[in-house]
Amino acid sequence: MEPTVKAFWLPKKGNSIEEYEDAFAYSKRHFAVSDGATESSFAERWAQSLVKKFINTPPAIFQDHGLSFQTWLTPLQEEWHRQIPWKRLPWFAEEKARTGAFATFLGIQFGEAAKRPFHIFDVFRKRRSPNVWQAFAIGDSCLFQVRCNQVLRAFPVEHVDQFRTRPTLISSNPGSNKPVWARLKTTEGDYQPGDVFFFMTDALSEWFMRRSNAQARPWNQLLDIRTETDFALFVSREREQNQLRNDDLTLVVCHWKGNEAS
Amino acid sequence: MPYSAEISRANPSCFIFLIDQSGSMAEPIAGSDGKRKCDSVADAINKLLHNLIIKCARGEGIRNFYEVCVIGYGAEVNPGFSGILAGRDLVPLSEVANSPARVEERTRQVEDGTGKLIHQKVKFPIWFEPVAKGTTPMGQALSLAHQLLERWVPKHMNSYPPIVINITDGEATDSGPIPQAEALCNLETHDGKVMLFNCHISSRSIDPIVFPENDNELPDSFARTLFQVSSPLPEGLRELAKSENFFLGPDARGFAFNADLVELIRFLDIGTRASNLR
Repeated sequence: MEPTVKAFWLPKKGNSIEEYEDAFAYSKRHFAVSDGATESSFAERWAQSLVKKFINTPPAIFQDHGLSFQTWLTPLQEEWHRQIPWKRLPWFAEEKARTGAFATFLGIQFGEAAKRPFHIFDVFRKRRSPNVWQAFAIGDSCLFQVRCNQVLRAFPVEHVDQFRTRPTLISSNPGSNKPVWARLKTTEGDYQPGDVFFFMTDALSEWFMRRSNAQARPWNQLLDIRTETDFALFVSREREQNQLRNDDLTLVVCHWKGNEAS
Repeated sequence: MPYSAEISRANPSCFIFLIDQSGSMAEPIAGSDGKRKCDSVADAINKLLHNLIIKCARGEGIRNFYEVCVIGYGAEVNPGFSGILAGRDLVPLSEVANSPARVEERTRQVEDGTGKLIHQKVKFPIWFEPVAKGTTPMGQALSLAHQLLERWVPKHMNSYPPIVINITDGEATDSGPIPQAEALCNLETHDGKVMLFNCHISSRSIDPIVFPENDNELPDSFARTLFQVSSPLPEGLRELAKSENFFLGPDARGFAFNADLVELIRFLDIGTRASNLR
């Protein structure tokens, strides 16, 4: 089973393309989304480095419940620090950068059925072991799994009012990450042909959840978006009607096609 | 909903600080070891400008979310920046950041990452110097703020409304503050009226009254007058104040009476954190 993937992004209205501070990356089995905190400096580099490393060398987080994550971050934090042009920075930019960059993170990996440990009961039940996905998250970048025109899973935010609170963020500054370890969320689920996964940063996630709560099936609107122009039109319409908060936007759609009857 | 406009470079907001520089500002402020009121206020304003600049710093520069003005009133009523910015009224924040009058080096205690407290040298830029001389022409200071905002507001109709913060230790010696304050607070953008917050600072160490809803507990007519001309706190600022452990009700006003050093700083912090920065 292979996914079809589409990705779209736009900066906040009023900001330039260079000022877009979200990041996303994906391969066939791994997807990552990160939202660099606008209030911090050099956050876009931090968000970029997190998603890239997740695709190239995912942490063993699903085996050890987060223990390895701290070690996984260390080289990224060192790299971020090395890339800041400290000597050239004016006093305020230096002071700001010393506090570090901050970002949300959502990472998903899709496993294949064959790689799951074989269970003898599967033979008796005459069924295959399911395909399993696993995800972990810090902050309010979200995934939604849609099956048969219904939201099957929403992670890590489950209620729409959670979007207006200040999320915990991963910092490039090791000393600022103490609150992170306890708030790292992990989950897993199964997937099958026909399932669609949406990965998004907070503004679009909030929109999605509100529309979904109102039985408006927002996934159909997002599935209709085929080009960057479609996305830009959709965004400007929703922003004008105050349905979509003015923020950086990232949307990755992962559609598991195949024999959808199975 | 008023007071909800996004603060952006296209639609910046502004702060005006009115600083009492009358002779009595040379007396010590409550809650400090004999530090003069004028020194405490100057430190608080410099620190506040510093924090505002850090908040708006991004990458190698500053985003101009605000224009800032300091007006001193005492022997004279004039813009109060020192050094390169002397004589300037409303200045974009990036220019303020790049033009301190001088930079002092101070030490502060910080955590070293392992939980140990260490002394660290930090740069402390100075834009505003303490002065204590003359009377208290508060009405004139409010009129000057009005003149500046009368020009600023029509050019920024989509902006979050300007906030004027008046810090004083005494009664106005001119016709102020009621008529001038009323005129000032009648200026408005599409997002709401100009806000005036008043902070009375004290030499006496008696409990301050911060963000009151009425004037029942205020001891004299001067305090009641300042309360009367203080703007109600919009919902966003009330929520922020609550999260910073202030107790306040729905009719709370931007007013502090008998503020000591600690309350002065907390008051200013809430007053200048109109959020929704984009």
